Amino acid sequence: MRLLLDRFPGTVSQLWTDTDTVEVQVPRGQIVDTLRTLRDDDDFGFFFLADAAAVDYGPQNWFEVVYHLYSDRHPAWLRIRVRVDRKSPHIPTVTDLWEGAMFHEREMYDMMGIVFDGNADLRRIFMSPDYRSFPQRKDFILPDDAADSAAAGVNPLERPETWDLSRFTDALPATETHPGSDETAVEAGETLADKSRPR
Amino acid sequence: MTATDPDVRIPDPIELDELEEERLRAAAGLGPRRVAGDGAGPAARPEYAGFDQVGLPDRPPQTEREQRLFTLNEGEMLLNMGPQHPSTHGVMRLLVKVRGEVITDLDVVLGYLHRGIEKLCENATYTTVLTYVDPMDYMSAMHNEHAPAIAFEKLYGIEVPRRAEYIRALVVELNRVFSHGLMMGFLALDMGGLTPILYGFINRDETVELLAAISGQRMLFNFFRVGGVNWDVNDEFINRLSRWRSNVEKTIGDNELLLTQNEIFTGRTKGLGVLTARDAISLGVSGPNLRASGVPFDVRKAHPYSIYDELEFDVITQPQGDSYARYMQRVAEIKQSIHLIDQIVDKMPHGPVQAQVPGIIRPRPGRAYAAIESPRGLYSVYAISDGGPNPYRFRMRDPSYITLQVMPKLMPGHLIADTMAVMASLDPIMGGVDK
Amino acid sequence: MAIDTNQTNTGGAPPQNIPPGTAPPPIVIPDQAAGDDLLREFDMEEHPRGGFHGLLEVIPTKADYVLDLIRANSLWPLLSGLSCCAIEMMSTATSVNDVDRFGMFPFRASPRQADVLIVAGTLTTKMAGPLVRLWEQMPEPKWCVAMGTCTTSGGRFKRSYSVVQGVDRVMPVDVYVPGCPPRPEGLIYGLMKLQELVKQRRGQWPDYVDRGPQRQAWEGDVR
Repeated sequence: MRLLLDRFPGTVSQLWTDTDTVEVQVPRGQIVDTLRTLRDDDDFGFFFLADAAAVDYGPQNWFEVVYHLYSDRHPAWLRIRVRVDRKSPHIPTVTDLWEGAMFHEREMYDMMGIVFDGNADLRRIFMSPDYRSFPQRKDFILPDDAADSAAAGVNPLERPETWDLSRFTDALPATETHPGSDETAVEAGETLADKSRPR
Repeated sequence: MTATDPDVRIPDPIELDELEEERLRAAAGLGPRRVAGDGAGPAARPEYAGFDQVGLPDRPPQTEREQRLFTLNEGEMLLNMGPQHPSTHGVMRLLVKVRGEVITDLDVVLGYLHRGIEKLCENATYTTVLTYVDPMDYMSAMHNEHAPAIAFEKLYGIEVPRRAEYIRALVVELNRVFSHGLMMGFLALDMGGLTPILYGFINRDETVELLAAISGQRMLFNFFRVGGVNWDVNDEFINRLSRWRSNVEKTIGDNELLLTQNEIFTGRTKGLGVLTARDAISLGVSGPNLRASGVPFDVRKAHPYSIYDELEFDVITQPQGDSYARYMQRVAEIKQSIHLIDQIVDKMPHGPVQAQVPGIIRPRPGRAYAAIESPRGLYSVYAISDGGPNPYRFRMRDPSYITLQVMPKLMPGHLIADTMAVMASLDPIMGGVDK
Repeated sequence: MAIDTNQTNTGGAPPQNIPPGTAPPPIVIPDQAAGDDLLREFDMEEHPRGGFHGLLEVIPTKADYVLDLIRANSLWPLLSGLSCCAIEMMSTATSVNDVDRFGMFPFRASPRQADVLIVAGTLTTKMAGPLVRLWEQMPEPKWCVAMGTCTTSGGRFKRSYSVVQGVDRVMPVDVYVPGCPPRPEGLIYGLMKLQELVKQRRGQWPDYVDRGPQRQAWEGDVR
């Protein structure tokens, strides 16, 4: 961790450690150079790209691309977080460093809509080529959008906006409420996300 | 063809045909063959007329890679294998560009089993996530539950009882044994041998009944809980385990007897699909496939989770990196797992199997990463909590998904019949690939 | 006499285009008188869709019964596993459970040679098209078994954005086997139920096969 601070002054920020993970944040422009140094330098030797994932922070209006690296010289996983603007999600590709990043990046493009500049094969991998939505974004709410898909016909019980809750509230005494109920919490968490859909 | 030569190139049959024809014409005293069109271009070979359109899709290419794939040179055609194909390990599609019988390019088309498990997990509570991840890599459901359980325990900050950790390691290694045993059978089945799969399934059925005795389910076990396991071992499990222990070396040994020294088997797998260590690391290959290329990377040693730092086992590697080495790697790992199971049963402590955990788990906001060694490689989970009852983000890295990228790298230059031999030796499971 | 109204092939004389203003031509049935005598003698009547029913129907239907028995005991499934249930389907076919006992072993790799489609595993929207094409390539008569909860209703993936919620949305299903996945014994039980359906001539048959009377005739034997 001290090594990271010494070698990348002004680049890494937001250091944080877990029992077996070291986490840093890197700006989007320096990500390829940083990863190349981490991979090739003898001090680091992070030769194996364990994981590359994308996280949608809808309320904060950014995506985050997260790389997990492994080195046989350090006792911890290295987690590198990169922020990407949600309005124009572009980030340089790392397929030049690890060829195996190709499927990771194609999956992130398919599920989140993040565009990797320089990737020679950026197309949808799970959904069919004519699919237009990005399912793992937080504003993709499951029952509604599933009803638009070919898997149409979700049970109305699963659509909270169609529920008639008045008959329950009438039956219950006014003082009795259920603040900690799971179902309401889950649904509230879903609707917190940005309402504007990409389509 | 030798096992050590990575640059094995099978001669192009079209060239061979032409050479043979020239030789015959010379022997018969005839001159060289004269064709219309000055001997160059597609007009030179009227027998290939129309082949330049075979298999092309009716949409424009989207990327440079597709552009390269869809550009057919002389004598090449595109061939679809799948999505329904008898030996593609599930529903996947291989788009193979062939020239005669030799593969010149290959593309893997996925998504025929994409069920959106990550999205469903983000809408489920922490306890029910462990039921959703079961059908991911359906040959190793215990491993699928292990990584999320570790990640959620890290998020929640909870200590797992010692006995629960031992039971976890026990069922996980049992799962590894039957998964590798079935891989031996599938590899033989894809090359036309039916018998090894029967032995593989005898071992598998015995093992899943053993695991059903402890978990209650035969295939998608749903045995792990956040903070422990569902049930303690019972009498039926112990009886079945001792019976399994006395049989397993025989059932695995039967398969080995059929395959390891089999001349047809070795002839079709040795020297086939050689994956170098440098390529394997660059492509993100992990697990037995990586160790068969000579890289001693095993998460159980590299980042010991559960109780693996207290157990004694070796990281075995094979130097060759071909299909036969990947098979031998599985056989060696089965023996390692049986050795591990013996140690775990000997050292099993007494105590509770489940920590005190509320019904609805609400961890503090944070992030956790947990990686385990599944039968197919590094399986990892990255979970983010925002303080609510369901994970904000739940990401799974499945090893067979990443491993499939080696197919376009390995296959060019091989015969089309060898695709399945290479594919089965990599042992991908489509449930994990497509999530 | 029960008539299956689902049948589109009505038999009889084809409709004729009659120009307006002219009288319809008389319908002449050759040898009608002789045929009626013969029918009365054997206590038979003519079926409106062709063929005769009565005492003499014993002979063709016994032959049909034998054919149905042969069909029911030599069902060839299509080798098409989609997901987790495929492993249990293979376990059903291999030596421990041995569905070969019921004449169902030779899993055919080609849909042209298969009688039964066992949909084993989650059907996604991307896979639905290829699977329906496989089903259409199978020759009739053919039957479909939905194995597992994913294929009966969507199961645990019912909410997902890419899963078909029950395979009966895209193709007809004869037997549903619930379970996630069902045990091999469960699948074998479903296949035995399917054999009963085969003997009743249910499932997907060609249009020209008249299975109404036969179904009526042999329902009692099956139960």
